[in-house]
Amino acid sequence: MVNRAKIKELMNESACSHNKDKKKGEGCDKPKPGLAAGGCAFDGAQISLFPYADAIHLVHGPQTCLGASWETRETLTSYEGRDHTVMGFTTGITTNDVIFGGDKRLADSIDYIMQNYKPEAVFVYSTCVTALVGDDIDMTCKLASEKHGIPVVPVHAPGFVGGKNLGSRLAGEAVLENLIGTKEPEFTTPYDINLIGDYNVTGDMWQYLPIFEKIGIRVLSSLSGDGRVGDIRCAHRAKLNVIVCAKSLITLCRKMQENYGIPWVSVSFYGKRDTTFAIMEIVKALGDEALIKKAKEVIAQEEAKLEEALQEYKALFAGKKAVLNTGGNKAWSIASGLQDLGIEVVATSIRKSTEDDIAKAREYLGENGLLMKAPASEQAKAIDERGAHILLAGGRSLYTAIKKKISFIDVNQEKKVSYGGYGGLLNLAEDLKHAFNNPVFANVSKKAPWEAE
Amino acid sequence: MMEAQKNIELSRHEHKPLQVNPIKHSQPMGAALAFMGIRNCLPLMHASQGCASYTKVFFTRHFNEPIAMYNTSVSDITAVLDGGDYSVLMSIENITQKNSSMKPELIGLHTTGLTETKGDDVRSIGTHVEIPYCYVNTPDFEGGMESGWALTAKALIQQHTVAVEDVKPNKLLLLPHVSIQPAEIEKVKECCESFGFHTLALPDLSTSLDGCLSDGQGKLGTGAIGIEDIRELASCSTVITLGSSMKIAAEALLKKNPNITHLHFDHLMGLSMNDNFVASLMKIRQIDPTPLLKRWRGRLQDAMLDSHFLIGSSTFVITGEPDMCAGICETLQSAGGTVNAVIATVYSPVLKTIKAKNVFVGDLEDAQEYFKDADLVIGNFHAERILHSQKKHTGLILRGFPNYEELGNQLKNDQLYEGSTYFLFEVANKLREVKHYT
Ligand code: SF4
Repeated sequence: MVNRAKIKELMNESACSHNKDKKKGEGCDKPKPGLAAGGCAFDGAQISLFPYADAIHLVHGPQTCLGASWETRETLTSYEGRDHTVMGFTTGITTNDVIFGGDKRLADSIDYIMQNYKPEAVFVYSTCVTALVGDDIDMTCKLASEKHGIPVVPVHAPGFVGGKNLGSRLAGEAVLENLIGTKEPEFTTPYDINLIGDYNVTGDMWQYLPIFEKIGIRVLSSLSGDGRVGDIRCAHRAKLNVIVCAKSLITLCRKMQENYGIPWVSVSFYGKRDTTFAIMEIVKALGDEALIKKAKEVIAQEEAKLEEALQEYKALFAGKKAVLNTGGNKAWSIASGLQDLGIEVVATSIRKSTEDDIAKAREYLGENGLLMKAPASEQAKAIDERGAHILLAGGRSLYTAIKKKISFIDVNQEKKVSYGGYGGLLNLAEDLKHAFNNPVFANVSKKAPWEAE
Repeated sequence: MMEAQKNIELSRHEHKPLQVNPIKHSQPMGAALAFMGIRNCLPLMHASQGCASYTKVFFTRHFNEPIAMYNTSVSDITAVLDGGDYSVLMSIENITQKNSSMKPELIGLHTTGLTETKGDDVRSIGTHVEIPYCYVNTPDFEGGMESGWALTAKALIQQHTVAVEDVKPNKLLLLPHVSIQPAEIEKVKECCESFGFHTLALPDLSTSLDGCLSDGQGKLGTGAIGIEDIRELASCSTVITLGSSMKIAAEALLKKNPNITHLHFDHLMGLSMNDNFVASLMKIRQIDPTPLLKRWRGRLQDAMLDSHFLIGSSTFVITGEPDMCAGICETLQSAGGTVNAVIATVYSPVLKTIKAKNVFVGDLEDAQEYFKDADLVIGNFHAERILHSQKKHTGLILRGFPNYEELGNQLKNDQLYEGSTYFLFEVANKLREVKHYT
């Protein structure tokens, strides 16, 4: 069942900066009629757990929830069995189930899955309709789990409880309650960490995992990029939780600290400085002198290698200025990446940003950087006044770039390559090079023959 | 035995409790798309935010265009306490206040599974809305994208078309099914215009998601038919339904004026269906087709002959919305193709008329069984990964929603003599490529 006390607790997470600037009683994620634009709680929950390729994700609801969402994210996996992240499973309930309840259909669906697919676990997601009708998903999952001898985990994040962020927290709760601590690892090392909140989109994790390996850091489990259910069940034996760019899972980490005494650090692997900083945070938190020394060596090598590869790009980008219009942590993380490439970021968006994000943006852009509260109306002026050469924004801003005859990158478009870690910076540089060289924006902006000058 | 089994599958007396790798899309998604095809319409989904967000992303990626869509953001509190009035009225106020330059001429409100389950009375809310208002009941635990689109066309006529008795002799209304893409409806309209008809389409995406660069896109629907036109639809002399799903909309129109002539075509692909279509237009207008249209018929004949060798020796599987499947299947069969299976998203009476070996409602798990022996699959982008993983080299032609793989979906044209010609060539070329490997 949807647990209201839990939702309230999650919306007021003490370790999260979100709640500071909110009015009393508001917390995170209260949608305003007509103006909520992002995904629902179910969406957030699904994003957080879907990368477990050895589990099956069964959506208990009507057609919209899964029909439009499966096979839309490039969350890569190295799992050698059947990859369930590129599949979609839904009970696709019909009128009958709404009237008489969908419990039987759900139970039958789980049986069907076990007969035909044999996953390591099944995640069952409740959605608006099945939550409202009151299907007893907990009981069905419990019985199925006993019957089939694998974890069948209910995830209670129906869309109407809030936005993506809350959903991701609820997913964290489901994992904490049902999986973590239910199995012991084969062996442990003093350098075991859990990676929390990196979903390995376009292989982001694979940019930095080889570096971990060189240093000697072992990833015991992941929630959930390239993750395995068997590993997350052992997560309670890690020495450190590493949250990657995901505020929503702070609650999970706080609780793991309380329950299992595992400390946590929050990092980002975007750009050179952040990657270096992240690695140092991790090894310092693990607190082993030899490890720190090794990390410094590896970082020095990697940075030198990167710098050499970047020379060519830096020469190309010298004197270039960028305006950035994107939300959340991208507002500063992409800025940091651009700066690593020698591009000056003259303005960034702080619309809908948290206090933390705003402070970070200020830190990265410096005193003269423009922080735009209403980027849609401010960006054109910013481009003119600051002489920007490129706009990085969502698709809706394309027209601004065309009018201003400058280059454009759609930062919200599904990216095809990873921008993470040291290696990702080279991918970003390559994309920027093409954007700067492409005459298409200037060509498109030409007047039509019938338009008066 | 075979027959009996076929009927069981057709009526979807469920052969399994769940869908694995679904191809079905929801009714609210069809409704939202239909409202985008109305000029200055504000499509408003009565739902929690997620349904609208998924739908928006889905169409953004399919069309590569900004998408005009809003939602009432039903939350757990409003889900329990509000009968719908609060969230709908607040949404309209919030949206129009936030974009003061935006002047919607129609609010297109439609429901979802959630708001149907809680039983909101979306009809009565309209009495409090100052802007013209259309409501549609589209729970997503019933029907699919095709029916959501059709129900919306029907609702627009029922609620806004003014009943009259006279007809204007040359005025024609097209009611296209959901899978007809923006450029296609434009072509069909042009064809009707060439017979001297003043032609309207409902919905009309030809100026909405047609991939035309302009400022301020994605705020309101920019379709080629407006609320004023919809009010006056009962003066059409002829209404043509394209796709069996659209019959309900034509019926609604005939109630507004029984003197309208209704012509129905299951689809507009292939030689014989287009011959019927053109013959009907000729009969009403008593004129010859344009020389260009005649020429396209000749080109289609030629294309059928040129491609029949490849198509005639190949087996096909088609997946998608029923009306689209009907057209593709008949066109392939007209050049000798063997259609082993048609797997439809939802049940529709048109499935009974499709002459493929196996016709049923299902998902890609079901379809996969038939993919193994097929030379070519025609379906949406989800089929791609499955085909990649199988041993036999089977080609894929992408049709239907969604197609995240290719660009320019809105400008693809499979309709009329012209579109069918291009379609057959595309199929034949793909087959040649595929058969090269084997
Ligand atoms: S808002 Fe509710 S019904 Fe809509 S996608 Fe999210 S969970 Fe499903």
